[in-house]
Amino acid sequence: MHYESPVREPLVLGNKTYHDITLDVVRPVESTAPKAWWIAFSIALAMFLWGVGAILWTIANGIGSWGLNKTVGWAWDITNFVWWVGIGHAGTLISAVLLLFRQKWRMSINRSAEAMTIFSVIQAGLFPVIHMGRVWVAYFVLPIPNQFGSLWVNFNSPLLWDVFALSTYLSVSTVFWYVGLIPDFAMIRDRAINPIQKHIYRILSFGWGGKAKHWQRFEEVSLVLAGLATPLVLSVHTIVSMDFATSVIPGWHTTIFPPYFVAGAIFSGFAMVQTLLIIVRKLFKMEDYITIQHIEMMNIIIMVTGSIVGVAYITELFIAYYSGVEYEQYAFLNRATGPYWWAYWSMMTCNVFSPQFMWSKKLRTNLVFTFIISIVVNIGMWFERFVIIVTSLHRDYLPSSWAMFSPSSIDIAFYMGTIGFFFVLFLLYARTFPVIAQAELKTILKSSGASQKKHHTEDDHAHH
Amino acid sequence: MHTTDSKPLVRALYDDDDVVLGAVKELRAQGVAVKEVYSPFPIHGLDKAMGLKDTRIAMAAFMYGLLGLTTIVTITYYQMIVDWPMNIGGKPNATWGWNMPAFVPVLFELTVFFTAHLMVWTFFVLNGLYPGRAPQNPDPRTTDDKFMIEVEDGDHVVDLLKKTGAIEITHA
Amino acid sequence: MASEKKYWKGFDELGNTPVAQKLAQNEFAEDLPVEAILGDGALLESSNTSRRDFLKFVGFSTAAATLAACENPIVESIPYVVKPDAITPGIPNYYATSYVDGQDFASVLIKTREGRPIKVEPGDKGFFNSGTTARAQASVLSLYDSARLSSPVKGEEASDWKKVEAALKSAVEKSKTEGKTFTLLTSSVFSPSTKGVIERMRGAYENFNHVQWDAASVSQKLDVWEALTGNRALPFYDLKSAKVIVSVGEDFLDGGMAQQLASDYAVGRKPGAGMSRHYQFESNLSMTGSNADQRVKVKASEYGAALAYLYNQVSGASVRVGALSADAKKVLDKAAKDLVAHKGASVVFSGGNIGANEHLAAAINAALSNIGTTVQAGKSVYVAQGNDLSLSNLASDLKAGRVGALVVWGANPAYAAPGFADLIKKATFSLALTDRLDETASLCTYSAPVPHYLESWNDYTPVAGHYAVAQPTIAPLFDSKPAQEVLMSLLGDATLYKDVVRSAVAARGLSVNAILHDGGVQLSDGASGAGSGAAAKALAGASVAAEEAAKAATGEWEVVFYQKAVGAGFQANNPWLHELPDPISRVTWDNYVTISAADALKLGVENTSESNGAINGSCLTLTVNGTTLERVPAWIQPGQAAGTLGLALGYGRTKVGKVADNVGVNAYSLMKSGSAYAVAKVTLAEDEHEFASVQLGNTMMGRKIVNETTLATFLADSTGKSWNEKAEFHTLEGSVKANEANLWPDHDHKTLHMWNMSIDLNSCIGCGACVVACHIENNVPVVGKDEVRRFRDMHWLRIDRYYSSDTSHESAEADGVGVMAKYAAMEVPSASPEVVFQPVMCQHCNHAPCETVCPVAATTHSQEGLNHMTYNRCIGTRYCANNCPYKVRRFNWFNYMKNDKFTGVNPSQDDLGRMVLNPDVTVRSRGVMEKCSFCIQRIQYAKLEAKKKGEPMVDGAFTTACAQACSTGALSFGDVNNAKSAVAAVKQDARAYHLLEEVGTQPSVFYQSKVRNQA
Repeated sequence: MHYESPVREPLVLGNKTYHDITLDVVRPVESTAPKAWWIAFSIALAMFLWGVGAILWTIANGIGSWGLNKTVGWAWDITNFVWWVGIGHAGTLISAVLLLFRQKWRMSINRSAEAMTIFSVIQAGLFPVIHMGRVWVAYFVLPIPNQFGSLWVNFNSPLLWDVFALSTYLSVSTVFWYVGLIPDFAMIRDRAINPIQKHIYRILSFGWGGKAKHWQRFEEVSLVLAGLATPLVLSVHTIVSMDFATSVIPGWHTTIFPPYFVAGAIFSGFAMVQTLLIIVRKLFKMEDYITIQHIEMMNIIIMVTGSIVGVAYITELFIAYYSGVEYEQYAFLNRATGPYWWAYWSMMTCNVFSPQFMWSKKLRTNLVFTFIISIVVNIGMWFERFVIIVTSLHRDYLPSSWAMFSPSSIDIAFYMGTIGFFFVLFLLYARTFPVIAQAELKTILKSSGASQKKHHTEDDHAHH
Repeated sequence: MHTTDSKPLVRALYDDDDVVLGAVKELRAQGVAVKEVYSPFPIHGLDKAMGLKDTRIAMAAFMYGLLGLTTIVTITYYQMIVDWPMNIGGKPNATWGWNMPAFVPVLFELTVFFTAHLMVWTFFVLNGLYPGRAPQNPDPRTTDDKFMIEVEDGDHVVDLLKKTGAIEITHA
Repeated sequence: MASEKKYWKGFDELGNTPVAQKLAQNEFAEDLPVEAILGDGALLESSNTSRRDFLKFVGFSTAAATLAACENPIVESIPYVVKPDAITPGIPNYYATSYVDGQDFASVLIKTREGRPIKVEPGDKGFFNSGTTARAQASVLSLYDSARLSSPVKGEEASDWKKVEAALKSAVEKSKTEGKTFTLLTSSVFSPSTKGVIERMRGAYENFNHVQWDAASVSQKLDVWEALTGNRALPFYDLKSAKVIVSVGEDFLDGGMAQQLASDYAVGRKPGAGMSRHYQFESNLSMTGSNADQRVKVKASEYGAALAYLYNQVSGASVRVGALSADAKKVLDKAAKDLVAHKGASVVFSGGNIGANEHLAAAINAALSNIGTTVQAGKSVYVAQGNDLSLSNLASDLKAGRVGALVVWGANPAYAAPGFADLIKKATFSLALTDRLDETASLCTYSAPVPHYLESWNDYTPVAGHYAVAQPTIAPLFDSKPAQEVLMSLLGDATLYKDVVRSAVAARGLSVNAILHDGGVQLSDGASGAGSGAAAKALAGASVAAEEAAKAATGEWEVVFYQKAVGAGFQANNPWLHELPDPISRVTWDNYVTISAADALKLGVENTSESNGAINGSCLTLTVNGTTLERVPAWIQPGQAAGTLGLALGYGRTKVGKVADNVGVNAYSLMKSGSAYAVAKVTLAEDEHEFASVQLGNTMMGRKIVNETTLATFLADSTGKSWNEKAEFHTLEGSVKANEANLWPDHDHKTLHMWNMSIDLNSCIGCGACVVACHIENNVPVVGKDEVRRFRDMHWLRIDRYYSSDTSHESAEADGVGVMAKYAAMEVPSASPEVVFQPVMCQHCNHAPCETVCPVAATTHSQEGLNHMTYNRCIGTRYCANNCPYKVRRFNWFNYMKNDKFTGVNPSQDDLGRMVLNPDVTVRSRGVMEKCSFCIQRIQYAKLEAKKKGEPMVDGAFTTACAQACSTGALSFGDVNNAKSAVAAVKQDARAYHLLEEVGTQPSVFYQSKVRNQA
């Protein structure tokens, strides 16, 4: 029997019993949606459809309907791609890394975090596909024999690495997520009265019965998956960063990218988790599970990673100066003082300065403030990618080819569309899925539940 | 498991994991064969108490990983070196070894891919889990907050169960 | 996408009857009994189906199968019943002919495929003007211009040749009886046979008169030379032997001039002892000026003064010198010294249609005893014949209603001669023999189509001693008729002009076949005694000329006229010429006034950049004695003389065709009888104009992009170590040349061919003929103004132009300028910059960054050093273009062949225009990347030719389209594995360097450093 040091804050507030947890988790599923949900959903859906329109328009007319040109061949497309992938990192990180480190506070947030991961990686995946000039032959990137015989893919290309990294990441985090969902689906199934609902959850729960042996395997599988997911999540953004790091373009050709991108990803990922959970918490009255302590923990991570990113920016500048390479030096000077200075400084303000507020306990435990910062951070991270991609490309080696970029209405619609799509998915999830890993949470109720802790301190074994 | 057995089964319902754990120990001490325990969440130490063997699913995962690695090594070697070697940016295409550094990311990704997916499939197969399967737990409450021990019937098994704190006993 | 649906082929199959089953099992009931027939000799003997029949069947079925397999339905394909022996599908035929478009003359070869002319290539016999300018290259598309007039018309309604000739006949007769004139208005005529026809007119009608007039007139120059030599023609300039070249306002390298001088000029520009020195004094920064060693900004009104001053300096005379700036004088002194030091081996040009100046220039050349050496007065160039006076006479005749019948042929006064539009109507009868219903034709009673030069017969004497012919390379596309035949019909003579030409050739005792094969013949070197007295006369008239020159009109603003790619405007409807960026401003699809930054400030003219980089400019209103030109865009141009505005001719057409209607403004409206410049009133207009420039960064930002040095340094150090430093990598093995560094063993590039290209930055004058040639050869789409404005031009080959800046790393360090301020300042071009041109195409890197990043291996490297682009494998990620340090890759943003946005500009969108496509080159689909292929179709063709001959390839057996089009020999292409090849030799040259070699891309293209011969 495991005891929790009484000094620690309880992770589950309000004197909950196992049954209370069950009730709290199924409430959104069994109750009807609040008005707020319907409003949010219809807005998201509208944005999504807008984006679908943009995609269709692009496929019908050509990439020319975007703002790109002969010099700037990537801009919003890949910016958004990297941004979404980055956001996708926190989920796996929370559930996998924190699981490995036996961080119990993850339990009430990892389900939603993973959902966020999967949904945002789906958004990310859209961009590299749609940005192809000939999207109808996208399957050329698979290592399959071509209709003309042996014409294979190029395993030297970072873009191909992306194909493997993304598909692995998306599919593995999906199964990881689903395996965890099965016992919770089973719980909903066993409670369901409505036959249709019961039938659906019966399908979803794969007939789980919670046998001892199954639980044993379940925990083993979770552990191994966590062990796999941890290096995987790090590898994904490393590989994404190699799209740039392995190139010859000043401002891209930078060895610091892998760690710097990963830190950035965790940074933006946690910010997005904050944004979402603060909403979910309010919307579904989960205050007892997603506690101020959780918020604070994540704020600390945001602060730390934010500072890491800041250090990376400074290092880049220094190395550019120290390299003595004409082109590198100009590239970085141009970022800060060139035509896109505003993007650079938005990035700096949002990513490096704003998280520093989190040193103050008062601020990092303040919900409203956290919410604002979490949004600011993701704006900043979007600008980071924009700065890296556009300001490096628009002025590279030969001044004769220098150009500028400005997005077209289609660029904007496509981006907004993915935000809409993301929230469509997330809102549906929040209504139909157990948003908290209740089975897992029940295992720590005794050790970290509020009332139980009280009992422990009185050194008596309360049985409910 | 119990399906192979001729003896009738007794099911006892509990409402606390610690009690269940105690009960299982007690019953086995008394020589009662504990067939199965259904719980809404994993109870630490239960498998030991029931005397279940350690699962070897992790070892299987490792094998799958090796399989994945071999597969992708073969693919890269065949496609880049053997079948259609090309001069791509002056990079070496003569031996796999020279070209390998460029393949590392893909090698890693496919290894993980194989490990994760095949392991999860194994997990489903071993546990007989598949979409739409009938619930394996006899009592729906065992996914909420109740726990169930399934034992072979025998003389004064029931009293024993009562003694261990069962709140409800049924004969299957 | 495999479908699960099953379609039954008939009720039998539906009912699954035995028949159906049998059929299903054995779909092709009978195999061809090949074995049976061919195997059994006896059977063959007996059978009445011979092996031949059998082969016929096989042949037919194969053909049928092939046809059936065709994805696209074949439209209007008519097989040859009898194959013309000249035409073999897939094999090009070349015809020698003469390119004449009303302004230029060139001896050219025409490449035809399956009977279609598809490419204009330089003449191979070294005749007069056998280079191809951008205009000459592009002219093949004018043949396929859908805006051409297809049959005679009377006003709006259709007519036919009978009616036209009848109407003309009666009109001419009527004019005779009414005592009015019968006038023929043409551009310069230098065709003996045509002259013959015109003479017959003169003989037959005493009221006939012939007016020759050129839109871009050199009439006053002709007057001068007529006075000096008694021969109305320009002298022949021999730049090969010129060591010092001084040009006052003459843009002699650009197409504007009748004689092509570029190739001879380049000869003298080869670095080394005896490299020529070039001084340029001018208002607009011309292409010629940007090649000069020393350039001074001089107002157009001061050209005369400059020449007079120079005359005094070289001859010791003291003729009147008008107002002239001090620094102009300073440089003129230097120039004078150089000229005197090179008597007989120097030349002085005078620009613009200004008689007095031309006379002064002649006098200077006389004083330097250049006349007879570099200026061959005795050898006349007849290409320009126009006479402004005769046009103004015609104008007054028309005003007075004295013109009974007016035939306008190949001239467009309504557009290019201000005020003429109203006068044409005053002629009792007017007939336009024209290629399109242009501004003039649409005002005439009748308009009838004449053939394009590629459809016509003719003969020419462009220069004394050279007799050239033109022959058709395709049957007339429309119901056109040579103007000569129309005129002869008046005399009831129905001879074909073709026969007239052939008999003219025969009459000279020449073999028709031989001359058609060569495209002409060199009868003599053309030198004649005519020039003997010229020098003396020139000197004698100098002071008078100086007086005259000093009277030059001057004012606050002088609008100086010049010519761009479209020239005088004869080919204004040719999209290739509009898409070709101006060599200096790099602006496409426009003309505009060029204005100095200082003047711009004064007038409040701005050039601002939009968020997508596109440039907008203020507009001006120009007024020249009463005539006003509204909303003229202003382009801030470094090197523009203060108080002057440059304005290009040939734009602002209104009835030329969908491509060029209302593109730019009509400069002619400000031009009084071919004047070189006009004194104007200038006010800032409200409107803003959208420019489409392809280049945003104008300076080299202190980077070693164009390696430059002075002749002195060059001569001092022949190794080049001091002035052509090579980048090095410092490795464990010590420092390695960036161009040899490698992480792995190199791929074998020694055994087969290794294609390399050398680009000599000293020879490149920036004319852009190569760009157009590449455009044509490789079916590069035309994308139009809007897309160019978005930096989506598709040129595979571009000519970068860089201005020098007043700030450099060194100067900044010296003046202690901060780093930000430094870079900001380096972006700003100098007010009178030095200019460099750098052609950039795919560098075919042997360590290509583009190749490694392509996920689908659509771009890979060949053993011959070529960077291949596999269009049908490309999925269009654009990663390769991003990772290209040279930014030479071009992406198909739209379907240029179909998308409505490009209907107006892209010739390949209409059936006629599509005929110009090169069948050897794929037309790229939407969404794929494309780029220079080193004309791989030519490489492969040449390889096959060599293979057929069974011989190794000879150096120079073929070359790329760009190298071929370059008349200065700046581009040379070949196999460096062939030690004897020209390119292998220059690769060892001390001037050779690779662009951005420190990036380690190991390109197959290398450049020869630029050497300036500064005083």
